[in-house]
Amino acid sequence: MGCAAAHTVAVSPIGNLQPELTAAVCGAVERIFNLPTAVLPLMDSVDFAFDHTREQYHSTLILEKLASLAPPEAFKVLALVGVDLFIPILTYVYGEAQLGGRACVVSVHRLDEGLATAVQKALLPARVAKEAAHELAHTFDLRHCKDPACIMHYCRSIRDVDRKSDRLCRYCRTLLNDELKRTGR
Amino acid sequence: MDRIKILIVDDELIMRESLGAWLERDGYAVTTAESGESALALLKDTLFDIVFLDIKMEGMSGLEVLEQVKQSDPEVEVVMITAYGSISTAIEAMKKGAFDYLLKPFDPDALGVLIDRIISHRRQTRENQFLRQQAREHARFESLIGQSAPMQQVFSLIRDVAPTGSTVLISGETGTGKGLVAKAIHTHSDRCEGPFVVVNCGAIPEHLMESELFGYEKGAFTDAKETKKGRLELAHGGTLFLDEIGEISMRMQIDLLRILEDRIFYRVGGTRPIEAEFRVIAATNRDLGEAIRQRRFREDLYYRLNVVAFKMPPLRERKEDIPLLADHFLQQFARETNRAVNRISRAAIDEMMLYEWPGNVRELENAIERAVVVGKGTSIEPHDLPISSAVCAEVAADKSLAEMERMHIVAVLSENAWNIARSARILGIDRSTLYSKIKRYQIRK
Ligand SMILES: Nc1ncnc2c1ncn2[C@@H]1O[C@H](COP(=O)(O)OP(=O)(O)OP(=O)(O)O)[C@@H](O)[C@H]1O
Ligand SMILES: [Mg+2]
Ligand SMILES: [Zn+2]
Ligand SMILES: [Zn+2]
Repeated sequence: MGCAAAHTVAVSPIGNLQPELTAAVCGAVERIFNLPTAVLPLMDSVDFAFDHTREQYHSTLILEKLASLAPPEAFKVLALVGVDLFIPILTYVYGEAQLGGRACVVSVHRLDEGLATAVQKALLPARVAKEAAHELAHTFDLRHCKDPACIMHYCRSIRDVDRKSDRLCRYCRTLLNDELKRTGR
Repeated sequence: MDRIKILIVDDELIMRESLGAWLERDGYAVTTAESGESALALLKDTLFDIVFLDIKMEGMSGLEVLEQVKQSDPEVEVVMITAYGSISTAIEAMKKGAFDYLLKPFDPDALGVLIDRIISHRRQTRENQFLRQQAREHARFESLIGQSAPMQQVFSLIRDVAPTGSTVLISGETGTGKGLVAKAIHTHSDRCEGPFVVVNCGAIPEHLMESELFGYEKGAFTDAKETKKGRLELAHGGTLFLDEIGEISMRMQIDLLRILEDRIFYRVGGTRPIEAEFRVIAATNRDLGEAIRQRRFREDLYYRLNVVAFKMPPLRERKEDIPLLADHFLQQFARETNRAVNRISRAAIDEMMLYEWPGNVRELENAIERAVVVGKGTSIEPHDLPISSAVCAEVAADKSLAEMERMHIVAVLSENAWNIARSARILGIDRSTLYSKIKRYQIRK
């Protein structure tokens, strides 16, 4: 990434993930945020974040590592992982982001719930893209939105994920634009 | 407009941090405390909406903290955080007034559902308070009174601005007459024949605001049996008064800005653009400059509204208006209540001139109303006035200081339909102090 791309979003797949997923995420970021993306594998595994009692991965630790590894030209880093994520107070999370910060992570692990047949599996990239855009928007200081069709809606179940659209509502769009303007992008 | 305030009390840093970060992404203002003692210290200065409280902590136990939290602020909702093995304690906590409990680690959806339940519960209580208050506030229109130079300036600005149709922003402390100024601008404008539509931004719950303002089409949501016009449409040809604009949510600020720019909007569930022509007057008792700095109020909206600025002077800066206003209210209430009282004694006027009137003209109006009702003779005397300096002047009377304080608190509370925030503002004390006095004097609704 050159200097010209200082507003690039680095998308970092970690572990064995289908390339379609990464492609779908990049597409969503470019469309929703109007920012260029670059695929940049920043680490090989997230084993350092494994918790033996919970047998899950602590997402906050992944965020810290991501932020420290991100090259200075990367405006934001978005990691994609296949493992199940948690934060200590909750049983699981689909992803996590530094609110108004730089790093976010999304897990594919629970997003393939209910996808058995090949036809159904085709839904996965869309789900991952929505949740990735959701987490990335948190790094632009956006919070959860009541509109069930908005990307920033907090999804309590996989049904909610399928129900929401792949866009920001008009309020969240304005707040994102404000933030982009404020940070001079 | 203030975000819901949540306090997390847990002695484990990692629990505080992970819950705090999650709640911030969900849109709440989060504060954390690592012990019951520091939580109680925080509760002295800040009023929280929700407290998440760990049951097992070093030092004060969760149950002890719960009791004291509920004492210092009965309105706060407490959610106990428990681990396996302490569920019986959690159930005891619910008997002591906790709203619910969560077993850690908890499901993200259980947490979301619980917070929604608490918020709608609180909204319900607040709506009821507001309705009671509205029922009391009689819709009478009184013209503005004032001979002081600052008020004379206000009058001449009204005369100049009213016919122009410009957008107006009125700021000033509570009770300084912002509502009256808005109405006066409308009455003196060439749209005085048109409607004067009030939107109280602080009183309409956020989830109803959109349909209140824009109206809705039949079938837009389950309860939308008929198409209904919103207040913007109703204001067509007249004036839209956005009262307490400082309370409006970030989302509504975005919509309002757009409407002020192109004057076109859609009913909820509608696709036909609706055009309405109205003048906008907004009022606030908040410091919007400060709100902008804290990024709770949009600067672009502020400039749209602040085309002409009215700053209402507090009553303590124009004390020469006090006798005039007091006499005006005396005549009015004597007439309404058919009392023989017809004058205010020199001593009572002197007391009123010494007092600072934190609740401004509204507080003065309420003081006179009360004096008319409780007074015995034909003249209002200092001891008829529920103001603190009058209390000091009347030490020889038959009431103790504590009795007077209690009476004044009762009067202010009932005058304000037990709206704690407003009453505390008028009394010039913070809300937790008011709560502790209510408790100490055993005041009940
Ligand atoms: N100059 C005045 N002359 C006569 N009555 C007044 C005057 N100013 C205020 N009042 C009376 O005082 C009361 C409070 O006024 P108003 O509701 O306009 O205050 P406000 O500034 O809008 O307060 P808040 O910010 O609390 O809404 C009303 O009953 C009003 O009739
Ligand atoms: Mg008012
Ligand atoms: Zn989120
Ligand atoms: Zn939204």
